Amino acid sequence: MLETLLPILIFTALALAAIGAVRRIRLWRQGRPSPVNLFKGLAALPRRYLVDLHHVIGRDKMISNTHVATAGGFVAAAVLMILVHGLGIANPLLGGLLLLASASMFVGSLFVARRRINPPKRLSKGPWMRLPKSLMAFSIGVFLITLPTVGLLPEGLLEGGGSWLLALVLAGVVAWGLGEMFFGMTWGGPMKHAFAGALHLAFHRRAERFSTKKGGVGRSTGLKALNLEDEAAPLGVEKPADFTWNQLLGFDACVQCGRCEAVCPAFAAGQPLNPKKLIQDMVVGMAGGSDAAYAGSPYPGKPVGEHAGAPHAPIVAPVVMKEGKALVDADTLWSCTTCRACVEECPMMIEHVDAIVDMRRHLTLERGKTPNKGAEVLDNLIATDNPGGFDPSSRLNWAADLNLPLMAVLKQVDVLLWLGDGAFDMRNQRTLRALVKVLRAAEVDFAVLGTEERDSGDVARRLGDEATFQSLAKRNIATLAKYRFLQIVTCDPHSFHVLGNEYGELGGVYDVRHHSTFIAELFDAGRLTFTPWKGGRVTYHDPCYLGRYNGEYEAPRNVLKALGIEVKEMERSGFRSRCCGGGGGAPITDIPGERRIPDMRMNDVKESGAEVVAVGCPQCTAMLEGVVDASAEVRDIAELVADALVESPAADTSRRPTATTMAEEVIV
Amino acid sequence: MAFDAIFEPIEIGKLTIRNRVVSTAHAEVHATDGGMTTERYVRYYEEKAKGGCGLCICGGSSVVSIDSPQGWWSSVNLSTDRIIPHFQNLADAVHKHGGKIMIQITHMGRRSRWDGFDWSTLLSPSGIREPVHRSTCKTIEEEDIWRIVGDFAQAARRAKEGGLDGVELSAVHQHLIDQFWSPRVNKREDEWGGSFENRMRFGMEVLKAVRAEVGDDFCVGMRICGDEFHPDGLSHDDMKQIAAYYDATGIVDFFGVIGSGCDTHNTLANVIPNMSYPPEPFLHLAAGIKEVVNVPVIHAQNIKDPNQAQRILKGGYVDLVGMTRAHIADPHLIAKIKMGQIDQIKQCVGANYCIDRQYQGLDVLCIQNAATSREYMGLPHIIEKTEGAKRKIVVVGGGPGGMEAARVAAERGHDVTLFEAADALGGQITIAAQAPQRDQIAGITRWFQLELARLKVDLRLGTRADEATLLDLRPDIVVLATGGQPFLSQHPEWGYSENAEESLVVSTWDILSGKVAPGKNVLIYDAICEFSGVSAADFLADKGAKVEIVTDDIKPGAAVGGTTFPTYYRSLYEKEVIMTSDLMLHKVYREGDGLVAVLENEYTGALEERVVDQVVVENGVRPDEALYYALKEQSRNKGQVDLEALYAIQPQPCLVDESGEEGEGFLLFRLGDCTAPRNTHAAIYDALRICKDF
Repeated sequence: MLETLLPILIFTALALAAIGAVRRIRLWRQGRPSPVNLFKGLAALPRRYLVDLHHVIGRDKMISNTHVATAGGFVAAAVLMILVHGLGIANPLLGGLLLLASASMFVGSLFVARRRINPPKRLSKGPWMRLPKSLMAFSIGVFLITLPTVGLLPEGLLEGGGSWLLALVLAGVVAWGLGEMFFGMTWGGPMKHAFAGALHLAFHRRAERFSTKKGGVGRSTGLKALNLEDEAAPLGVEKPADFTWNQLLGFDACVQCGRCEAVCPAFAAGQPLNPKKLIQDMVVGMAGGSDAAYAGSPYPGKPVGEHAGAPHAPIVAPVVMKEGKALVDADTLWSCTTCRACVEECPMMIEHVDAIVDMRRHLTLERGKTPNKGAEVLDNLIATDNPGGFDPSSRLNWAADLNLPLMAVLKQVDVLLWLGDGAFDMRNQRTLRALVKVLRAAEVDFAVLGTEERDSGDVARRLGDEATFQSLAKRNIATLAKYRFLQIVTCDPHSFHVLGNEYGELGGVYDVRHHSTFIAELFDAGRLTFTPWKGGRVTYHDPCYLGRYNGEYEAPRNVLKALGIEVKEMERSGFRSRCCGGGGGAPITDIPGERRIPDMRMNDVKESGAEVVAVGCPQCTAMLEGVVDASAEVRDIAELVADALVESPAADTSRRPTATTMAEEVIV
Repeated sequence: MAFDAIFEPIEIGKLTIRNRVVSTAHAEVHATDGGMTTERYVRYYEEKAKGGCGLCICGGSSVVSIDSPQGWWSSVNLSTDRIIPHFQNLADAVHKHGGKIMIQITHMGRRSRWDGFDWSTLLSPSGIREPVHRSTCKTIEEEDIWRIVGDFAQAARRAKEGGLDGVELSAVHQHLIDQFWSPRVNKREDEWGGSFENRMRFGMEVLKAVRAEVGDDFCVGMRICGDEFHPDGLSHDDMKQIAAYYDATGIVDFFGVIGSGCDTHNTLANVIPNMSYPPEPFLHLAAGIKEVVNVPVIHAQNIKDPNQAQRILKGGYVDLVGMTRAHIADPHLIAKIKMGQIDQIKQCVGANYCIDRQYQGLDVLCIQNAATSREYMGLPHIIEKTEGAKRKIVVVGGGPGGMEAARVAAERGHDVTLFEAADALGGQITIAAQAPQRDQIAGITRWFQLELARLKVDLRLGTRADEATLLDLRPDIVVLATGGQPFLSQHPEWGYSENAEESLVVSTWDILSGKVAPGKNVLIYDAICEFSGVSAADFLADKGAKVEIVTDDIKPGAAVGGTTFPTYYRSLYEKEVIMTSDLMLHKVYREGDGLVAVLENEYTGALEERVVDQVVVENGVRPDEALYYALKEQSRNKGQVDLEALYAIQPQPCLVDESGEEGEGFLLFRLGDCTAPRNTHAAIYDALRICKDF
């Protein structure tokens, strides 16, 4: 009986799966076009899956092994089952392999089940709770129906008169398994992640973020430029269908593991953002409906079930809409610090930050709804080329006594020192002065643009004002094009990122270095000598735009090591560093939460027992120094280096008549 | 940006100044060594540059000519080429930190003394005597004029060759240039006096000669007053005319403007406004000059606070603010603004200890900052943390000495407890601040309060420390700064008793602190003639009492400095306080409801009586030594301070014993008035030099 039933079951499931796939693909194709090379993408899939994805999943060995056993077992079992039971190729070898595969899947599913006994908060419940049972049903069912194939059970056992009941039960189990695994995969069950996830990997919008066989690390963190010339293209994303099709596909790949939720600083601060929920909302939006079925942690302070959307309906309710609610509230989008912790953790390689900025672009460019100080900052940028609205001619005021060499005079130098908007900030001016002191001590041939420099456009871009970003970027690129230099050095990771990763698309390609990288190189080249560190314990805070955005975790630590400092690492450091709360314009949009992100970060510092937290970002410095009753002092790496400099006395006297000025700071 | 106006650079001539804050010219009185700048001088200005000051104009009243006596205030001597290498040291020290430095140059004319050094014949346009210095002078001759014009030019050349950034010609404070300007002093009828152009001629010749000598790439400015405040002197309109006249030459790079002439005691007090003045009292005069000139204007006078400076600059009244006493109190003022440590700025309180010492020919020191001008000795403005053991330090007494001791010990990283019997910190400062116009002296305490809180010193206020309490804390070091008590028991005839009911006299502390209610008809006997007596008189008169203040010294308030006694006198005369000198308090006795004070003339012995209802005696302070003697024998060092180490700013040897180890038991030091009654600066200096090595 089973011999008849099984092929029917299998091919029915496959057929339904195929119908579901078509329907699912149609949902994705509501999105805007985004050209991809289908064959190349599919060819790259195995490597992307086995190397890049498992690089992320491998951070949790238990889950990684569980997934290998379960998913590997399933894929093998599914193929073999089609051959053995679907097409009736009752080869004992294939049967044996099928037994092995289903056994492996069963073992894996036991671990999946165990994880679901007392699941961590970040995991979504709902249908995901039945998944381990379905996995077991499939694996046990397939295992049992295959036993006769290899002769471990008499062929006729299930053929006998009274055994039809047993066969029926077995068929039911297999049907359940097939239903979850094949039908559910394309009709929106938990297994959807395998289908969408695989295609997402193949057709990822950022092919360049994957490693290459030649040893390329793979990193793609710069935002994609909007084509402002194309009048047909929407300015950002208003409705789900405004995303590109492969972005929609990406959302669908989400496994709701909640790793993003666990690392999101805004979520931890009780601000109304949960990256997982946001992605799920996009899934709801592309299919149409309400978020009532969502079975994970909500946006803090926003109960589930009150929001709904449709592919062609606005994601954020325009003010005119009654109830004021659509798919997502604006404050959710403005809570993001763009720290990329979610993207870094996502095993499905979903690009949350891209999506958020896409939606912000619409709110800012089409609706003018940048909240709180946002509009003022953007106005300032438009009027003065800096977010603080300072007189542009005062950008070099802090250095009036330093006689900084100007690009306008020298035209050609080794290093162009990019000041950033920290040049207007009294705290960051100390860092800049320290950096100048270090460059001079190492006799670096450098110059600054001075008042020719403009804001890099980072804040404008992350607040969604792509037009202002591009205007600033193009003018900066034009200025830089007038001069010759080998590299740009900056103490601002945001400028570093934008100049290095985002100007390229607009025609500005530069070798940009963070000052910690540059100082590490100077030290390695023997151009700097330090007195040994005598201060207290030091920890290091990785700026998001240096670490996660640009992969620079080592240079700052090497500099600290060169100073004789043994870094007491915080629990969350390196690629898992917790954001200071200062990125993405978050301090400007200032969405209230239950606590402040920098307070949490300074608490991390406190727990490390450090008396000094070394930083490498003006924004981090400002945020962390703003913490009341902090237990540690915040010092930029440049300051620590400048303090430890051993100046050669010979150099001192040679300078004499003109007495090159040093930073006057008296460090109290 | 909160202080953007302060931190906007400015061009003066061809010189870029990094911010708008200037330490204006004042006599440092430690240029010594024949007018050659010394290590002390260099380190004093280097500290300001290191602290971020934009421009220092050094050498108030530095002389250009041999007959303008240099020695009285040890000013810088630019009449010889010997000064050039000294200037090079000074310029390098300031430039190294990004600061700029100029010097004020002058011929003081009649405003000096002739009775010393070279016994110079002083000069002035019409030979009229100067009252403040009691100096007579000769009427200047044409030959002198041209010699001095040449001397100015040579002095400017020396400043330039020495690497300084500019010179400021002093035409203020009634020096020779403004002696020519002022019709009050210039009565000449030749081409150097009379008409406006004639009175301007000397200054113009000086300016032209200086500019011709130094060329265009060297700053030349003028310091002028905004109004002499004399009916027969130069008015504000006159000064505007003068400023515009010189500005029109196009060869003046800046004007420094201050309010008030200063050739009388009363006008002199305006020039360096003490704590009785409002903030920036004469800004309007400088703003008036700014209206008529095309070059930057500097103004200094009671600008002490960064917010005030920002407000003045933002308002556009002047281009640069002088914060000179503010820098004497805290040479790191600018750095602290930049570091966001505004609360840590030691703000000038206008006690004028600095300038009042200067007018006595003493080196300029700060009442509350003992490190200022002692940088060369190694006294630090920033106390480094100790690399040695963390000690338990107990300080007794919350007056200036005790507060400084606690601050310094805490900055060293020690565990510090401070006991103060009163409910608040301050000691005698708290009492002094009760007098009318003297409340700002409490700023000294306020700074310490903030610092001690920041440094987490364990403050035990309202707690009188006894031997047992102290030793219970198992201190490594005990510092006694218990001060003293008014010394009323010296003469039994005064009828002082510890029982307040029976005592016939009360102290100025009793009056100022409010412990004793003011009488209606009060005699103050002031044997000391410093602040307490006149403060009590002012306080009582302010409460409506009829007051006579009597002293056996030459006059009441005789020991109060030259920029401070005039403001007391203004107030006392206005309130009809009678000031009587040359009488000693012989005896006090009760008669009916009242008191009779018997006074004895110092010179004739004649007795006279006053019938009053209250007798207040100011007879100084007697040290409070009880706790010291209770602890002395138990201490490791028997309470002794090693004087050689103290004066040489070296660590007290007992801090480490011969073996290099710390011994058993505690060390005991006492400082301030509980050793011998002196003043606030003495107590703070004691505390700093003893505690800096803890």
